[in-house]
Amino acid sequence: MFLLKTKLNRRKFLAYSGGTLAAGAMATKFSTIKAIASEHGKQSKEPGTKTVPSACAICVNKCSLFADVKDGVIHKLNPNHNFFKSRSMLCARGNVGAKVPYAPDRLKKPLIRTGKRGEGKWKEVSWDEAYDYIVENVIKLIDKYDNRSSIAFASTEGLQEEFFRHLTSVVGSTNSVRHPTLCLASNIQGYSSVYGTLPDADIANAKFVVMAGSNRAEAFITPDTIDLAKNRKEQTFVYLDPRATKSAALADKWFPIKPGTDMAVVLAMINVIISEGLYDKEFVDKYTHGFDQLREHVKKNTPEWAEKESEIPADEIRWMARKFAENAPASVWYPGRRSSFTANDVYYRRSCAILNAIVGAWDRKGGLIPKSGISLKSHEFIFPLYDRVKNRIDGGKVNFAADVLPEYIKSNKGMPKDEVAFLSEADGSWVLFRDAILKQKPYPVKGMFIYKQNPVESVPNRAKTLEMLKSMEFICTIDIQMSDTAWYSDVVLPESTYLERWDPAHSLSGVAPVVIFRQPVIEPLFDTKSMKDITVDLTEKFLQKDAFWVDAWEEDKAYMEDYVKTFKGVPMSHIIEHQLSDYPGAYKMLKEKGCFYKTDKIPYGKTLKEGARLKTKTGKIELASVRYPEAGLYALPVYQKPSQPPEGKYRFVVGRHAQFTQANTQNVPYLLEAYGHYENMLWIHPKSALKQGLNDGDYAIVKSSAGEQKVKVHVTEYTRPDTVFYLHGFGRLSKWLTNVYKVGASDAEILEDYAETISGNALLHETFVEIKKA
Amino acid sequence: MSTNTTTMDFFAKNDKISNIWLILTLLISLFGVYGVFNVLINGHDVYGVTRTVPWGILISTYVFFVVSSTGLCLISSMGHVFGIEKYEVIGKRAVILAILTLLCGFGVIAMELGHPFRMAIYNIISPNFESAIWWMGTLYGVYLVFIIIEFYFLMKHNHKGAFYAGLGGFIAGISAHSNLGAVFGLLEARPFWHGPYLPIYFILSALISGTALIIIIFNISYGRPSNLPEKAKNALTGLSKLFGLFLGIIIFFDIWKIITSVYGAPPEKYESVMALLTGQLSFNFWFFEVMLGMLIPFFIILFTKGRNLTASLIAAISAVIGIFYMRYDLVIAGQLFPMREPAPGAHVQSALQNGMVTYSPSFSEISIVIGALGFCVFLYLLAEKYLNLSE
Amino acid sequence: MSENSRALKLAEDNQKLANKRKKAKEKWGIVLDTSKCIDCKACTVACKMENYVPVGFYNYRIWVAEDTHYAKYPVISRSFQPSQCQQCENPPCVHVCPTHASYKTADGVVMVDSKKCILCKYCMTACPYDARYESHTTEAIDKCTFCYQRREEGKDPACVETCPPKVRVFGDLNDPNSEVSRLLAYNEYTVLKPEKGTKPKLKYIK
Ligand code: SF4
Ligand code: SF4
Ligand code: SF4
Ligand code: SF4
Repeated sequence: MFLLKTKLNRRKFLAYSGGTLAAGAMATKFSTIKAIASEHGKQSKEPGTKTVPSACAICVNKCSLFADVKDGVIHKLNPNHNFFKSRSMLCARGNVGAKVPYAPDRLKKPLIRTGKRGEGKWKEVSWDEAYDYIVENVIKLIDKYDNRSSIAFASTEGLQEEFFRHLTSVVGSTNSVRHPTLCLASNIQGYSSVYGTLPDADIANAKFVVMAGSNRAEAFITPDTIDLAKNRKEQTFVYLDPRATKSAALADKWFPIKPGTDMAVVLAMINVIISEGLYDKEFVDKYTHGFDQLREHVKKNTPEWAEKESEIPADEIRWMARKFAENAPASVWYPGRRSSFTANDVYYRRSCAILNAIVGAWDRKGGLIPKSGISLKSHEFIFPLYDRVKNRIDGGKVNFAADVLPEYIKSNKGMPKDEVAFLSEADGSWVLFRDAILKQKPYPVKGMFIYKQNPVESVPNRAKTLEMLKSMEFICTIDIQMSDTAWYSDVVLPESTYLERWDPAHSLSGVAPVVIFRQPVIEPLFDTKSMKDITVDLTEKFLQKDAFWVDAWEEDKAYMEDYVKTFKGVPMSHIIEHQLSDYPGAYKMLKEKGCFYKTDKIPYGKTLKEGARLKTKTGKIELASVRYPEAGLYALPVYQKPSQPPEGKYRFVVGRHAQFTQANTQNVPYLLEAYGHYENMLWIHPKSALKQGLNDGDYAIVKSSAGEQKVKVHVTEYTRPDTVFYLHGFGRLSKWLTNVYKVGASDAEILEDYAETISGNALLHETFVEIKKA
Repeated sequence: MSTNTTTMDFFAKNDKISNIWLILTLLISLFGVYGVFNVLINGHDVYGVTRTVPWGILISTYVFFVVSSTGLCLISSMGHVFGIEKYEVIGKRAVILAILTLLCGFGVIAMELGHPFRMAIYNIISPNFESAIWWMGTLYGVYLVFIIIEFYFLMKHNHKGAFYAGLGGFIAGISAHSNLGAVFGLLEARPFWHGPYLPIYFILSALISGTALIIIIFNISYGRPSNLPEKAKNALTGLSKLFGLFLGIIIFFDIWKIITSVYGAPPEKYESVMALLTGQLSFNFWFFEVMLGMLIPFFIILFTKGRNLTASLIAAISAVIGIFYMRYDLVIAGQLFPMREPAPGAHVQSALQNGMVTYSPSFSEISIVIGALGFCVFLYLLAEKYLNLSE
Repeated sequence: MSENSRALKLAEDNQKLANKRKKAKEKWGIVLDTSKCIDCKACTVACKMENYVPVGFYNYRIWVAEDTHYAKYPVISRSFQPSQCQQCENPPCVHVCPTHASYKTADGVVMVDSKKCILCKYCMTACPYDARYESHTTEAIDKCTFCYQRREEGKDPACVETCPPKVRVFGDLNDPNSEVSRLLAYNEYTVLKPEKGTKPKLKYIK
């Protein structure tokens, strides 16, 4: 599947698509460029007030904003009211962005480690020194292992990630690993297997919404969150979660479902809808494939059966099923975001997608809506394909793949044992990837570049991640703060914050797509650079080293010289202008209104038009998958009973919070205040607390096979007695995260590192813990 | 009217006041310097006051001082204002102590105010006549002027002058003091304080403080009760009886205050009173306020009929200690019921599990209080030692 | 310019603006529909940013409290109660202030002139809503100003503007055509602690 072409037929080109531009187009504009650059330099020093449109970068939403700048200092970031996607909001984190550039803990100069790894001894160096150090180490590694893939590249999404990916290609490694398999890979896979895509939900117009596990009101604030809250009085909202989160506060009904059994409820709902004839016959006939198989398949999945599994009363499941059908097409089983729950997740997501399909709540008002985007002009960028390259370390057949599965699902025939069935070549599978590195199978990976991601805190089983880092001969991290991963690196490059740099235009796909961009709101305060500059600079350095090019052809070098020329000194504004050149007036709109869009109306029914095809094998909605059986998987979602915590143990679930969705904002004092505590706390039900002899405010040791953490106890009625929880991103290892260094408990430390082998997603709800008084 | 008084009349050395006491009290007052410096350097953060209990022990100590001052002034006015001859003897001593306690009170509140100097300016150029604090501050200022003049005339044996100044002081004192009560009494937000009760109660308790302090200072001047001259003995016996009477009245007041605050559990009032009766202030309340402040002195006076001056002295000391806590309890209890429920996210400062908030004075606050009390005694002893306070 | 001096300057600018707007006819108020609140704290953080409210757990002008009606697993009811200074029509904090440091603008906004504040904290004991705190940056009492600095541009206050579900609506209670007036006309509403007679201009839709 991932075989590289041989040197003869490769014809040297690996097309890379990105928002970049040909070198020739730039050259003529060089003089204008300089002027703009210096003008921007001046502006932020000018006294007085100005308002600059840009976009937030604290989470994936990328909300457009207007920055109020007073005397060269950011005063306030305000929501952009033209940006309908955010419903005119900036969340708590977006607001606190105003302080991000001024944060005392941020990185200000390139650093090279002088002490032992993790000891925290650094020397400040110039960019040149840092680059030389990096280039030297990269070449050394490639030579030593005779393999460019011996250097891994880990990153998370962002508008500059593209340039990090360029760096990956310049170095020539196949081993890039990204965040989706710690997040929503199974969701993408599950929905795509039915619809060919992961759709959005039209919550604004839905009348009946069921949300399971996804904590929309708390995890982070999306348009869906806002629409749910706004429709509070008009919409029926049913919420399934072992915890009474803030989403439960919005719900008409909350069911503390037994974790891992959501699929039983969905199948039972499908059962009711089909057996009572409530499905949309016309829709099913016209647009779906495999309905008869489905009808047979769910016969056994009665509400009574589901009640035994999920602890949700059969009558309530019937009620949900009938309401779901009655309100269709304005019914939604919410597709969710992070879906790294339990081992059967892909099949579960499939079942959710199917439920929506049989009532015809697809691509119609109030139902699931396929995302669309605004296509920006991009340039097929040409990167060399070197000789000394090997296949992805976690790609193809992986003989230890079954090791990452939880015990109870190992006998499941629908779960691959020797590979990840649908591994994304760009994203990899984090858990498997790390195992492969540690096992050095099939080859050693001994160097690592990490951009913006913090695997130490975000990949389950922290000890293992640290072990992986320890096994590295070279680690370079690029970030704006000293993340835990940076802390264990050899060289740390400080990126300019999102308020100090240009980022290319980006189309946010969704029910109604919109384009955003970033421009500097202030000049960089410190000796920092954007990822784009870092990639270009490093490429330039590599060009000067012949040793780097021994396995490349002459043209390769020439292309790289072009690459450098394309970006060197070229202002991003020109690139953005080019990206938008298909749309007259778009650039102007972007600069004035902070965003560009063609319409804010949702275009319903594009996929239902005559002749339209979905990106599935049959072109239809595949209730029964065609591709899955081909890959040895079940065509229809088969329920797998999850294992339950043994006596004396509890299921540990992870969760997010509106102030700390990812692991990058816990150090911000304003957000800790907003959260209301300076450390995270273990949610435990009073009955269980009593059993463990714990009182509110005590400290407890939470222990799994991966590790243990000490955490403050919060006795609460808001959780199932068999389930415990604490918030992500505390108990940090980097001393430069002064407010959370060793404060509270890290979830990464105690999470056991399971993954499923269909999409390769990590499983964050398969950990059982012991709890003892500290 | 005598115009040819000599300086000898103004100054006289009292050998009963030993230097040891002067040094000791001076040392105690130096202790306060710690708190003063700490707050000047580190700001109000060094205080224990919070967002929910913004007024702490410095305010209550201020109240203690000014109540004492008013009480001394009111009692002393019986002699040279209302012409009850028996009490003329107490005049100078009472008035000088009234001045000193007031000054110390001002000193303490200056430490509590964030900007005492601004107060001096804006009280004049931007007065708010609706504000009880404005009236209180202004009237106490006037009062201070009157009692200083009064003292001067007393020292000069200018009886007419002393009469007028004393009358002015009396009126200003009563007004200022009832306004102090009103500072609390006008706060609709704080049911425990709100209403006409406090202005009246404050006057009454001033009388107790006044009598008790006079009993104490006469004993200081003469070393022990048996040394007291006849005239003074007479006056003190009379005062002791009054003292008992006032105590009886205040017990009566307190009982009804408690009953009305507990009966039917009126919101907020009830919780505050329960903080006194059974809650966080209960030891203060029962031991200091009730036992030392009221019952012990009351029964001592009741059983000795005020004739045993040693007993009266003990009663007076006990009462003054009790009264200090009475002020504290009054100021703090009124704030213990938070203005918002301490729910999660409400960020109600210093909230307790039981829904109330709490306050404990910081070391700096305590040091300032002790320093001020010590300094007040020191100044009085100094006055006693070098001024001619006897008739 | 340090954060402190920016805070001071903002306070001063607001006094000047209040002077300039002596003839303002509006009566600003906020109508809240708290059923929409998700406790995301965007409002509280926005307020701190906009108004240079210093870091500190108890330095705040605005808060979101949780209102737990019933919580016995598995029956749980949660809701949130965002609030700030009530901008009382009859503000006890203004009545008690000895130096007129606390005052009400022509358009009904209660503010503190930090230069006049003597920090007697009388207003803190007088406010029935715990809406005030002692600010280290202005060295005076600080409280919600309805983001008075935004009145000239006619922009919504920061907390109103940034709220994801738009729990708050800000506007002129004197203008019958304003959204606030219409919301009040067509909805039942209540105020906090009506018994205190403060006449709050924050109105809560039931
Ligand atoms: S911003 Fe809005 S939704 Fe969020 S806490 Fe504040 S009032 Fe509630
Ligand atoms: S603290 Fe300041 S604003 Fe408050 S009442 Fe005193 S002087 Fe006025
Ligand atoms: S809520 Fe408090 S601070 Fe605000 S106007 Fe009313 S009394 Fe004053
Ligand atoms: S109106 Fe402005 S000052 Fe008042 S709470 Fe909202 S953001 Fe803060």
